[in-house]
Amino acid sequence: MTQEKIIIDVGDGAAIPSKKDMGLFSAWRISFCGAIVLLIYLVISRPDPYLKIVKFLPDGIIVTFQVTFFSIGLALIIGLITGLGRISRNRIANAIASTYIEVIRGIPLLVQLFYIYYALGRFVRVPDMVAAVIAMSVCYGAYMGEVFRAGIESIDKGQTEAARSLGFNRTQTMFYVILPQAWRTILPPVGNEFIALLKDTSLVSILAVADLLRRGREFAAESFAYFETYTIIALIYLLITLLLSKLVSIMEDRLNYYGKF
Amino acid sequence: MENSEPIIRIENVTKRFGHLKAVDNVSLTIKTGEKVVIIGPSGSGKSTLLRTINRLEEITSGRILVDGMDIMDRATDINRVRMEVGMVFQNFNLFPHKTALQNLTMAPVKLKKIPRQEAEKNALRLLKKVNIAEKADVYPTQLSGGQQQRVAIARALAMNPKIMLFDEPTSALDPEMIGEVLDVMKTLALEGMTMIVVTHEMGFAREVADRVIFMDHGAVVEEGTPEHFFKNPTHDRTKLFLSQIL
Ligand SMILES: Nc1ncnc2c1ncn2[C@@H]1O[C@H](COP(=O)(O)OP(=O)(O)O)[C@@H](O)[C@H]1O
Ligand SMILES: [Mg+2]
Repeated sequence: MTQEKIIIDVGDGAAIPSKKDMGLFSAWRISFCGAIVLLIYLVISRPDPYLKIVKFLPDGIIVTFQVTFFSIGLALIIGLITGLGRISRNRIANAIASTYIEVIRGIPLLVQLFYIYYALGRFVRVPDMVAAVIAMSVCYGAYMGEVFRAGIESIDKGQTEAARSLGFNRTQTMFYVILPQAWRTILPPVGNEFIALLKDTSLVSILAVADLLRRGREFAAESFAYFETYTIIALIYLLITLLLSKLVSIMEDRLNYYGKF
Repeated sequence: MENSEPIIRIENVTKRFGHLKAVDNVSLTIKTGEKVVIIGPSGSGKSTLLRTINRLEEITSGRILVDGMDIMDRATDINRVRMEVGMVFQNFNLFPHKTALQNLTMAPVKLKKIPRQEAEKNALRLLKKVNIAEKADVYPTQLSGGQQQRVAIARALAMNPKIMLFDEPTSALDPEMIGEVLDVMKTLALEGMTMIVVTHEMGFAREVADRVIFMDHGAVVEEGTPEHFFKNPTHDRTKLFLSQIL
């Protein structure tokens, strides 16, 4: 067996707050409170156009949430399957998974979005939102596949041997013994992927999906208040991202608390 | 003992890793209730031989019958065979995300479909048997090495196996914990369990083994009763090994 060094690192700048960054003057708190204060200040001090902008956006926020939520779910499933394919002894499954990852990594997300969106459009008529979710998941599934693979491979071989010696088959071993342990290694990088995915959903605004950014663009185009609109858009993305990163770090704490090992 | 049935038949088994013959044409028959201790220098193929019995290592050639089942036969469900063969590892390999009790109940509940309550009752009985019932709800990392190994033995026993394989069960333990694990194994031996034990604990071999097997370079060099072995071994290599270890 080759001793491969296990590095789970997703360097996209999305960050789950680390323990040492917390406390009263943590970067997270400063950003979060700062964004809220600024938002409220702008809305109160200049209701026109800021209040109008804010009132115009909730539909878009909901769409952004929906795209994020469904894409994360589907990307996790694709990621798990891809990760299992990568460690499979079945050559064909292995080749498919590896090629999928290689191809996805080699194409910019925006290009992939266009491609999958229009490729899908050629063969089936699906709602824009569904096409966007599929495109996002296919892309992120590849990255998550690598995270799953690394997480699974980080579990000691002795665990598999113990499970197999008791009579568990490969699948049972994976789901009862390996994945429940691997999850702890997998969650932090996967959490970063969640956050990156949330931010990247802004790209679907280029397709006909009325997400937060697209709503903003519509408002700006009509009102010519470009600067003001994008200020609000940026603040809202920041707030959502910060909230999600908080959620992920809470999940991590839980995992560490319950599975004391 | 002499007239009981063979439960394991190893016939001309060879296991290669690339060019290396880790097990070289070994034949062995083990009877029901027999206690066999395998000794030999590091790298002599003891673990590999042991692991071929439940097919953790697939043999290159030869044949292995466990309780009448040819383990390399396509028609044999290897998982059924493994349920009858318990294995204890040098590094315990307890499931760290499960408590001691859950480590014992998992396989019976999932594989044998035994009702949880019944499985837990049985698990508690086994934990008592290995003198660690008070740690039932504790996670493995909070246990000492000796305690972990006793739980691991109990976990294997929870499947009610006919055969128990031990691969250097005390080698990773601090000296003061070796005794408690060997005691559990001795009790098991007294109850008539069929046991194959790879170990360097010569006291245990002398006391418990019906037969001692000395392996070197993948082959069985010498086998016999403990008296034969420790009083007048025939082969030079056996003598050399014993002189180094005793
Ligand atoms: N998975 C493996 N791949 C390659 N070589 C192995 C593997 N497992 C064991 N070996 C080799 O087979 C020989 C026997 O090993 P092993 O059965 O572990 O010996 P022992 O248990 O007697 O110390 C050693 O030379 C070891 O390096
Ligand atoms: Mg060994």
